[in-house]
Amino acid sequence: MSVDRKIRGMRRWIPVYLLILFLALSGCAGGEEKEDGSAQAPKPLDISAIAPYSGSPYVPVNDNEPAFTAEELTAVSFETYSDLDALGRCGEACASVGTDLMPTEKRGSISKVKPSGWHSTEYDTVEGKSLYNRCHLIGYQLTAENANEKNLITGTRYLNTEGMLPFENLVADYVKETKNHVLYRVTPIFEGDNLVASGVQMEGMSVEDEGEEILFNVYCYNIQPGISIDYATGESKVEEKQKNDEKESSRPEDNGSRKEEKPSAAVSYILNTNTKKFHKPSCTSVKQMTEANTREYTGEREEVVSMGYAPCGRCRP
Amino acid sequence: MILIAVVDDDYGMMFNRRRQSKDGALRERILSLAEGGTLWVSPYTYRQFSDCGAGNIRTDEEFLRKAGPGEYCFAEEALAAPFADKIEKIILFRWNRKYPADVWFDLDLKADGWKLSETKEFPGSSHEKITEEVYVRG
Repeated sequence: MSVDRKIRGMRRWIPVYLLILFLALSGCAGGEEKEDGSAQAPKPLDISAIAPYSGSPYVPVNDNEPAFTAEELTAVSFETYSDLDALGRCGEACASVGTDLMPTEKRGSISKVKPSGWHSTEYDTVEGKSLYNRCHLIGYQLTAENANEKNLITGTRYLNTEGMLPFENLVADYVKETKNHVLYRVTPIFEGDNLVASGVQMEGMSVEDEGEEILFNVYCYNIQPGISIDYATGESKVEEKQKNDEKESSRPEDNGSRKEEKPSAAVSYILNTNTKKFHKPSCTSVKQMTEANTREYTGEREEVVSMGYAPCGRCRP
Repeated sequence: MILIAVVDDDYGMMFNRRRQSKDGALRERILSLAEGGTLWVSPYTYRQFSDCGAGNIRTDEEFLRKAGPGEYCFAEEALAAPFADKIEKIILFRWNRKYPADVWFDLDLKADGWKLSETKEFPGSSHEKITEEVYVRG
């Protein structure tokens, strides 16, 4: 960045600093002012415009451009969490993440919080077995929030570790390295009166360098491959496809009758039994897997997904 | 050329035209590796090194094509596979973290016959542990 640009950038921040108090009170509400002078919440994400899950745990929204306004960007740390709604559901959480908000001790227990739609459900196909995690909207590593019910939603293991965690790491490591700030907003997306969010929108923008290093706007799917979720209640079950496969495999192999041959949609995949991801045999990740974690599988893609495996983001099988 | 790259747990390198992460200790390590030689980088990568005062850094959009034998290339966003034949050695750093990615390291280390010859770990300035792996032709 040139010196001129730096100076221009600093001048840009002067009015922002004057708005710090306002921002600390209003968080990332942004948008236009309502008649009573308070800020309106940003326009909610239109989930009908989001493509159905097709293998990637997150997809860009608005070409990765967050919807922050210039007034919202502040190089002074703050964090805000929405009150729970009448159904006990979380709303938008926002922070200007700086090193002063980051944890100085290990995370405490959050097990007392029961987010909307919470169920303690286990499946063998899920990493760690528990389908649901208490997902921090703003991760503990960013703002050190422990058992804050306004910051915890019912999220799948897949949402937590494959969808949200990579972005939290991205932000945390940038802030630690540069001592700069990242304006960060996470919005759970509930459809109708559902108690479990369909997904979360995550937006981030590095403040001091005006998005040069950190800039994203994504939707992360609250799904778990192989598990069917009723988002209205949080009830879940193994997907029908997998049930049928289990029945099929429990039948005697040869009872004299001729089994009908399956359609020839079978494809060879390589499963990583450790990461629970599946790959094309030609994927470069396969060559780097240990033998103990490698399993070959020939079948339909849906079958692999129903076994709890997620497609590799690299080879996109 | 000697290729240097940094990857996350899934061999990711970039997301939304931005590097996944950066680390001052890693920059120092890269500079020390290339000390006495030439370090080629893209203009994008050079922004990381612009304040370091190193006189051996050469910048070019086509740095992978222009680098000669024995010269170091730090590729953050550039894909190396088209230049695989001229790579003599690969120094692969690992963040040991998972970040979002839409650009991945594109060399197939095992299939192309690369052999891991050396591994070491060091603490980063903001990353708990960075792993350095050296691959040579098998």
